[in-house]
Amino acid sequence: MKKKKVLSALLLTAMAASLLAGCGNEGNTPASGGDGGQSAAGGGNSEQSAAGGENSVQSTDGGDEQVLKVAAFEGGYGADMWSEVVAAFEASHPGVTVELTVDKKLEDVISPSMKAGDYPDVVHLATGREAALTETLTKENALLPLTDVLEMNVPGESVKVKDKIIPGFLDTLATNPYGDGVTYYAPMFYSPCGLFYNAGLFKEKGWDVPNTWEEMWALGDKAAEDGIALFTYPTTGYFDAFTYATLSSAGGADFFNSCMTYEDGIWESENASKVFNLIEQLGSYTEATTVANANNDNFTKNQQLILDNKAIFCPNGTWLPGEMKDAPRADGFEWGFMAIPAVNEGGAGCSFCWFEQMWIPAAAQNQDMAKEFVAYMYSDEAVQIFAKSTAIQPVAGVSDYLEGDNKMFYSIYDNGATAVMGGFAATAPVEGVNMLDILCGTVNSIVSGDKTVAEWQAAVEEASDKLRAAME
Amino acid sequence: MKRGRARSVFIGICVMPAVILFIIFMLIPTVNVFKMSLYKWGGYSNNKTFVGLNNFKILLEDKNFFRSFQNTILLIIIVTIVTMALSLIFAAILSREQIRGQNFYRIVFYIPNILSVVVISAIFSAIYDPNNGLLNSIIGIFRGSDKTPVLWLGDQKLVIYSLAIAMIWQAIGYYMVMYMASMAGVPQSLYESANLEGAGRVQQFFSITLPLIWTNVRTTLTFFVISSINLSFLFVKALTGGGPDGSTEVFLSYMYKQAYTNSSYGYGMAVGVVVFLFSFGLSALINFVTKREPLEF
Repeated sequence: MKKKKVLSALLLTAMAASLLAGCGNEGNTPASGGDGGQSAAGGGNSEQSAAGGENSVQSTDGGDEQVLKVAAFEGGYGADMWSEVVAAFEASHPGVTVELTVDKKLEDVISPSMKAGDYPDVVHLATGREAALTETLTKENALLPLTDVLEMNVPGESVKVKDKIIPGFLDTLATNPYGDGVTYYAPMFYSPCGLFYNAGLFKEKGWDVPNTWEEMWALGDKAAEDGIALFTYPTTGYFDAFTYATLSSAGGADFFNSCMTYEDGIWESENASKVFNLIEQLGSYTEATTVANANNDNFTKNQQLILDNKAIFCPNGTWLPGEMKDAPRADGFEWGFMAIPAVNEGGAGCSFCWFEQMWIPAAAQNQDMAKEFVAYMYSDEAVQIFAKSTAIQPVAGVSDYLEGDNKMFYSIYDNGATAVMGGFAATAPVEGVNMLDILCGTVNSIVSGDKTVAEWQAAVEEASDKLRAAME
Repeated sequence: MKRGRARSVFIGICVMPAVILFIIFMLIPTVNVFKMSLYKWGGYSNNKTFVGLNNFKILLEDKNFFRSFQNTILLIIIVTIVTMALSLIFAAILSREQIRGQNFYRIVFYIPNILSVVVISAIFSAIYDPNNGLLNSIIGIFRGSDKTPVLWLGDQKLVIYSLAIAMIWQAIGYYMVMYMASMAGVPQSLYESANLEGAGRVQQFFSITLPLIWTNVRTTLTFFVISSINLSFLFVKALTGGGPDGSTEVFLSYMYKQAYTNSSYGYGMAVGVVVFLFSFGLSALINFVTKREPLEF
């Protein structure tokens, strides 16, 4: 009897001990992440490290070997281009091994170790994503300024980085988030946002593509007789690009920047009212079921309306044709893409230019090599690799690499439309206030008639007041 | 004496693993939630600022938080009442009446509980689809298909009920099985004598079945509160994303939004503290109100 008790007590302690041992296993075996005897010589293993997603490669023979941790968001362009670029970087930088992490949900992959203090050296992750990792680090002042990267020569070339980037891309709140002229985000792949439509439908019906909002409403009334709605939107999230563009068109670049930096009373000004009223009117031309499908589960049903000729225009970015490439469509369907018509009579049309960003966390271990990597992104070699996957960087001469539909999408600015860039200035976090939620999310209520424009405008101004106070 | 001491040492060793796990995975995180609710922190950097009860002060003026509070309470009430009524009725029918295919019904009712919430959301997305959905097609037969469709997930007055229906559908089977298990323990002889006395089925249910399974019903009430709070988050995340325009935001989805997408981790934790206290308080209240002398049989 007693023996049995002793035995079970022993078993229990063994169990408890093994449990605790399981918790404390971290840290003493640094090389355990890799899969066996992988050496870090040259660039030969990069294929492997990309294929495995996250794969820690340890340098075996000390010396001046360096390991650079790169984390990149896998967007619509795919992951292959990243492994190619990394291979090319390793080939041109002997002794450097790049540990590449590419993932569609990059935030989920890298943020647990970031919370524990283990940061990647370079991160490619845009602002405006739902998890807002980039914004969070910005608000917490945890990014490295890229001023000296811009002054560096592009590796292997004799041009400075800042001279290679298309003018205008470095003067926006989307690269200088604090509005103080210091660049923290390097502009990467850009994509014009505008209105997509079925060019085939216009041909079939003999309609002209509207150039002004007056023509737009006239078209809406005409199409309504055929049971076609003028407008739909995937989710209200797409109204950020739409409002930015129309704000800029209504009041010019300075007015747009005042909006983005929360100037007092700006959202109740005459120009802002024009935009709010425009969206309200657009709401009355919106396809009736749009609101019900404007969520992450069903937004493709809204995009499908364009393909089925049930709605004419849909605001989106150049990734839309790729996203819908397998969807059924009406006969004679052909993608058409245009800038948003001018808000003021006789003014210029406008298109928001959305781009992804690359940044270096202030807590990165290997900052010099990280800067070198960012500069390398603008080399002809890297630009060509990215362009093969239709990821277009704002680099002079990039349009030579474009073909097909993409040529049309990226020529949107050639027809006199103004490019609008930027976004809301970074502030310290304000509890319970999310500007994009209030500015864009409310569109659903405007379309369904649950809120009035006056309520919406007042709420935006109130949020703007709170954020302005947090900007200092 | 010596024997007694050995015994308590033995007991101590036996409960130790559970206690250690409880402390590491329950106690410390809970204390941390309370602690973090007093800080202003984005979630990543080391810039934590102690702000005292400021987060709670902001919370008291936050209209969006109150809306999520209202939605949660509405869901708890509707889901609890409807699910409890339906699963009690189904359990009584399936355990007291002789129906052909009893086991088949049992399985059918339980299946939704095995499905993941994401699958259920996809099913209900299809049911609620404004143009080709099951519900609108059926309604269309009666009111003509040329009318504007009912927007189950788009109408701000309807959408929370659409959510409740999905939650009820998911929960019925689970509670039905629980009620059936305790109904099986009620002695047959009681029903026989009730029959002899001339009591009808409904009266039997209220005078015999319900009082005798009361302890079980009480336990499930607490389950209802906790699972409504938890599951509503999953349903909202998968089905509506809190929309349209925040009209389906619930406790936990609002907390998640603040902590992880609005860079206000400390504020999110303050919401967490309120949720913690609320669900604790509500469960205690329900327990107190429904207390009865347990019936022996």
